[in-house]
Amino acid sequence: MRVTILDGTRGGRKAEADAREVLISELEGQGWEVTTYPLREMEIGHCVGCFGCWVKTPGECVIVGDAASDLAPAVVQSDVVVYLTPVTFGGYSSELKKALDRLICLLAPDFMVIDGETHHKTRYERYPRLLGVGLLDSADPESERIFQTLIARNAINMHSPVHVAGVLHSEQGTAGMRAEVQQLLNEVGGTQ
Amino acid sequence: MTTSRQVLLLVGSARRPRSTSEALGSYLLERLAEKGFGTETLLLHRALKSGEKREALLEATDRADVLVVAFPLYVDSLPSLVIRALELIADHREGGDQSRPQRLLAIVNCGFPEAQHNDTAIAICRRFAREAGFEWIGGLSLGGGGAISGRPLAEAGGMARNPIQSLELTAAAIAEGGALPEEAVEAMARSIIPSWAYRWMGWFGWRQQARKHGVQRQL
Ligand SMILES: Cc1cc2nc3c(=O)[nH]c(=O)nc-3n(C[C@H](O)[C@H](O)[C@H](O)COP(=O)(O)O)c2cc1C
Repeated sequence: MRVTILDGTRGGRKAEADAREVLISELEGQGWEVTTYPLREMEIGHCVGCFGCWVKTPGECVIVGDAASDLAPAVVQSDVVVYLTPVTFGGYSSELKKALDRLICLLAPDFMVIDGETHHKTRYERYPRLLGVGLLDSADPESERIFQTLIARNAINMHSPVHVAGVLHSEQGTAGMRAEVQQLLNEVGGTQ
Repeated sequence: MTTSRQVLLLVGSARRPRSTSEALGSYLLERLAEKGFGTETLLLHRALKSGEKREALLEATDRADVLVVAFPLYVDSLPSLVIRALELIADHREGGDQSRPQRLLAIVNCGFPEAQHNDTAIAICRRFAREAGFEWIGGLSLGGGGAISGRPLAEAGGMARNPIQSLELTAAAIAEGGALPEEAVEAMARSIIPSWAYRWMGWFGWRQQARKHGVQRQL
């Protein structure tokens, strides 16, 4: 199993570093091949909304030469993609989002209908499972609900065959986070 | 210009030459200017470029009585630029004095014809308002933004009828000091084009653009 972690932590916080360590060690412990992209250290320009990745160079962003070029193939060739992020107003950090906004090249521009709503068609035959791992200091039902919904909405748009979202709380300590991560990996298919 | 009532528009689209976010936000600001508001607009892709500009963004935010954040839906959520701006604003305000009431509203437009795709982004903005000490006065949600495609609303014909009605009601509510009326929210979310027609337009439009670059077979 190949796993790509898009690490959207903002840096400078011990609890975030601990959570990342726990996540990586649990994944590797299951024998998975893990690649982590520390996004805050990567030069990634923001999407300019030109749709060139659909109508000019289909499947590839028109911004060439920045660190985002590697991300699209890495994500689509994975079995699981992990979005690791401090839960930011219920959603993703800007560090994670600067990468996600550059990944719409993985879809095709044409529309299709899923459960009565418009979405984009696939460009590839298969897409990775999606695991969202949010980080908070302590439990916060409202922002956790938004985070869960966002992962579920992304899974529809990204044609993810399975999606799971969970939030780790730094007040749980490392052992608590580890138990939570094990549970999430089971749900996303870690034992298969 | 400093008046007792100042409105700041933050535009979260980097699209050139113009964006639907800016078209919607500008229309609202024009109506508010007519009602005596001082107005200021910042395009976030420029306003975040340097430390000095980011400082100016934070100062403009501090000055505003009403903050309007207008952006396109990106991946079911806010574009990275907008999240970055909100992170900076929230960090800047943390622990500060929030006794002066400042109001916040969001205008979100998405590419799919159904406005409900914007619901999560609106929930995130509302949550930001709470965390950063703004009074949340509501979110407007437009589906099928591609049908406006950055044209000034006054030039967009019948497509712009519902958004215009919504923004007129919104301007009146802001001037009166209230929250957005349900009618304004509903008018913005009312479809401006039937979904099937929009999907067909998309099919045709993507091919037309791809043909210009000789890649229509690779779509
Ligand atoms: C990176 C990217 C991601 C997008 N994601 C979504 C999405 O999740 N749902 C949607 O309905 N439209 C999505 N869109 C479409 C835009 O929201 C739409 O084109 C919008 O009208 C652009 O507004 P603007 O002119 O203000 O930039 C996306 C566009 C881009 C470039």
